[in-house]
Amino acid sequence: MTAQTLNIGFAPLTDCASLVVARERGIFAQNGLDVSLRRFVSWAAMRDALGSGVIDAAHMLSPMVVASAARLGPFPGDFTTAFTMNLNGNAITVSNALHEEMQQRAPDLMEELPLTARALKRVIQQRQAKGGAPLTLAHVYPQSMHSYELRFWLAEAGIDPDRDLNLVVVPPSLTVDALSTGHIDGYCVGEPWNSAAVVGGLGRTLITSGEIWSNGPEKVLAVRKSWASDHHDTHLALIASLSEASKWLDDVANRQTAARMIAAPEYVNTAYDEIVSSLTGVGVQTGGHLRLKMPDFNVFHRYAANFPWRSHAKWILSQMVRWGEVPETVDVESVAENAFRPDIYCEAVKALDVACPVSDQKVEGAHQHAWLMETQSQPIACSADRFLDGKPFDPARFSDYVSGFDIRRGEDRLGESDRSQVADLGK
Amino acid sequence: MATSLASGAGANRGAQVNVNSSDVPLRVLIIDDDPERIKLVEEGLAANAVVHTASRTHGRLLLDMISRIGPDVIIMDCNSPDRDTIESLRLVARSNPKPIVMFVEEEGGDRMQDAIDAGVSAYVIDGLMPRRVRPLIDTAIARFRHMDGLRSELQKTKDDLAARKVIERAKGLLMQHHGMTEDQAFSSMRKMSQQQGKPIKDVASNVITILEMLANKAGELPE
Repeated sequence: MTAQTLNIGFAPLTDCASLVVARERGIFAQNGLDVSLRRFVSWAAMRDALGSGVIDAAHMLSPMVVASAARLGPFPGDFTTAFTMNLNGNAITVSNALHEEMQQRAPDLMEELPLTARALKRVIQQRQAKGGAPLTLAHVYPQSMHSYELRFWLAEAGIDPDRDLNLVVVPPSLTVDALSTGHIDGYCVGEPWNSAAVVGGLGRTLITSGEIWSNGPEKVLAVRKSWASDHHDTHLALIASLSEASKWLDDVANRQTAARMIAAPEYVNTAYDEIVSSLTGVGVQTGGHLRLKMPDFNVFHRYAANFPWRSHAKWILSQMVRWGEVPETVDVESVAENAFRPDIYCEAVKALDVACPVSDQKVEGAHQHAWLMETQSQPIACSADRFLDGKPFDPARFSDYVSGFDIRRGEDRLGESDRSQVADLGK
Repeated sequence: MATSLASGAGANRGAQVNVNSSDVPLRVLIIDDDPERIKLVEEGLAANAVVHTASRTHGRLLLDMISRIGPDVIIMDCNSPDRDTIESLRLVARSNPKPIVMFVEEEGGDRMQDAIDAGVSAYVIDGLMPRRVRPLIDTAIARFRHMDGLRSELQKTKDDLAARKVIERAKGLLMQHHGMTEDQAFSSMRKMSQQQGKPIKDVASNVITILEMLANKAGELPE
């Protein structure tokens, strides 16, 4: 039997790990796949490559697939995913100067853990009162967990992300430079770019994404919907390979080996020191404190991490509606069903020793602590899914959740082209 | 083999190329770190264009530069790390979308056209000759304006339709609760609109809010 050749796009970030592990440990080959990994330094370029068929699958921002299903931006309705690659993994880092200013303005608030943006709110108020320049914070792409996490964190403390400061998009690899030259005051990115700033003495990490939404979906394996139906068996083999790689990767004993593998020049191309703590969760620094152990900084497999929860897709969509990117009249069910395919995932892992949840949604934020999820086979040990603001997200009460936010946008945030594109959704 | 989808696309859709008529020099921004390509574009545009290059300007500085020089067109590589920053421009209502000419490699080919049709104002070129630069840019700008015109027209039609629905509803409520005729209801709203200096649609939605509130208080739910 000849192996099926596949081209898969990835971004040079820690969370491409399962792709690298599946290739380096021969897991793809065992499943009859001959995979070439192709590195991209821009999400839009990876999206275009996937949409135009240059690549067959992509290590993609989970909101990019939801955006496609919601017909926002290019390739409307073309993408889908049946595999969540990791949970958590991002963090918010600010410059030393801004960290110091926060300390001075609100030493009491800086003691909080997790650290809210209340101290930052004081800094902003002070600057506004003095007529000072607004702060500039960066994220990596308009439809990214980074953007929605950063906005959620700011708005939770009463900061309006569109009015009280500037938000800009900066390529991840250039965020540290921009921070050190003072062109931005902080950012929300994935690893290794938070550790790089901290290790280089250029900034301080304030909070990790897992503290904003515990175990939210970060990257997914995106494919074209048409490819998924034309290459069903290849798709299943791909998911089975990544499930196995993710399981290996989640074993603490393997994380240092994995760090060496992905730090290599052909993958993330970075120093082992900058990538290792984000994988082992040892020595992750947040809120100016060194946290000795943060094992869930990146979750690759446990807690049913690879299962594409439709409630995850709906939460992402809720933030798109909240920030005026998608109209309130959007068909929530249809977007979630097209974007996330738990049915394909369960079919792919059936033969493996991996349990599948019996429902494809849950109330996000209902679990403050670890819990046990019953399934038809063995139960799955799950972790918290709480939000920083303590409010649960019931996917059955989508509109109530969105209208419950004090700070949100109407459709006015959209540019002309996007507004007319999404207007058809209202029908 | 060179592909130049831009000219093909323009011809197929009958976009009119009439951007060359003005004597105002064209402001072009090239975001690229390939000196050969920058030179090529500059040669092709020698006359009647101001070319700015950004090869080491990223993120916030790049956005500042764009708002400062207000380019008529942006030329960049489709795999540039700055793509996502440029992409974010589309999502900000206050920034003007710009026509973007993009260098792409051959692979991808026809389906790249889908990205263009879906609203990435991108025009695909490869194996460019200097003398082809200006016509390509002109076609890109013309096509962008054409698409932009279609979009605003569509939006205006939709807005008009939505406004008409609101006005109809307000008229109905006025007729029901105040015993007005249709003409009286409309002219009373038009008068309010003139007095308050507000669009009639806004007056109509205020009327709806107030009348529904009164009706709810009186215990009779409207409709």
